Amino acid sequence: MKRNILLLLVIFVGIGFLLHAWPSFSQEGEEEAGYPTYPIIFTKPLKAVLFDHKVHVEKAGLSCEDCHEDIFKMEAGSTQQNEDFNMDSLYKGKYCGVCHNGEMAFASNTRCASCHIGVMGYERLLKKQHSSESSSEH
Amino acid sequence: MFKGFADWVKSLKNEGVEHIASEERRAFLKLGLVITGVYAGGKLLSVVSRVREVYADIPEYVDKYPYKPHYSMVLRTDRCIDCQLCMEACRKTNHVPPYGWRTRILEQHLPSGEGQWTRRFMPILCNHCNEPPCVRACPTRATYKDPETGIVKVNVKKCIGCKTCMAACPYDMRYFNEEKRAIDKCDFCWESRLSKGKFPTACAKACPAGVRIFGDLADPNSRVYQLVHDPYRAIWVLRPSMGARPNVFYTIN
Repeated sequence: MKRNILLLLVIFVGIGFLLHAWPSFSQEGEEEAGYPTYPIIFTKPLKAVLFDHKVHVEKAGLSCEDCHEDIFKMEAGSTQQNEDFNMDSLYKGKYCGVCHNGEMAFASNTRCASCHIGVMGYERLLKKQHSSESSSEH
Repeated sequence: MFKGFADWVKSLKNEGVEHIASEERRAFLKLGLVITGVYAGGKLLSVVSRVREVYADIPEYVDKYPYKPHYSMVLRTDRCIDCQLCMEACRKTNHVPPYGWRTRILEQHLPSGEGQWTRRFMPILCNHCNEPPCVRACPTRATYKDPETGIVKVNVKKCIGCKTCMAACPYDMRYFNEEKRAIDKCDFCWESRLSKGKFPTACAKACPAGVRIFGDLADPNSRVYQLVHDPYRAIWVLRPSMGARPNVFYTIN
């Protein structure tokens, strides 16, 4: 009887440990890919711009050093604290505008909604993140 | 040789467009072409462009600006990024409650190749139609077309809240305001700004991307006039089939 209880306890603890570790499993994609797999969202100076590492690494063939840390700091979303993080700076060849100048990549003053996902897109992403978080808790 | 071909083409008789399958006609329409003739047993088709139809300078619109000033808005819709600063400014300026709206932004996913799409945002607001269906529907004449500016306004005192105008509006741009106990809608900021000598509307002022161009369509020097009358620019209105003749125009670039 005592052994049975001990066995059950071990199983429960095991399950608890598994569930606890679950969120970190989803981060494993990052280790494998070599870049952050979660969306980088800028909300300043306005909502919202979505940056996808996958497109820039796999399709555009960029390496980490191409942008980090000269153009963008490693810490996700930290660049938006800069006061000059706006479209004018991009047109002057700063930030995204280093490449998005119409020669290396499409110009910053074209295809607005490629990067700008808007308030609607931002809220959709938050909802998605929230629902994936709450499902991993159960 | 080519002369002979030209003569041969000219000698052909138009066999009539009645026998063309509607799918085929539609396929051409999508390309912006209208089939006007069928020749050589259906092997040759004569087509004309229907692109001009979407330009604003069709007889229906051109030089028919009965108001002074004839307030109008042009929306350069591909520049919209759904930051919703226009909506926020509108709420603040016109005291729009959280459950209501005077302007909104729609999201479109335009197909661009196999399994791909591009995002486009489209702001919408009251179109201040020349033939407003809401005005026709109102049983108490509470909503009316301002005889001077053409702005579609609501007289709160006359409104009985029957919501008939809400059902009649092709653009869903009216809501029932619980505080006013009346219908509320965009008035191009007439009460809050224009009547006080402030220009332009709150939404146009707040837009960081220059989407909303507001002005007098009857004034050839205004930007709205120049955009709408640019012969090389595609201009369209929403739901033209309603026959409401809107004063809110859409364009890209």
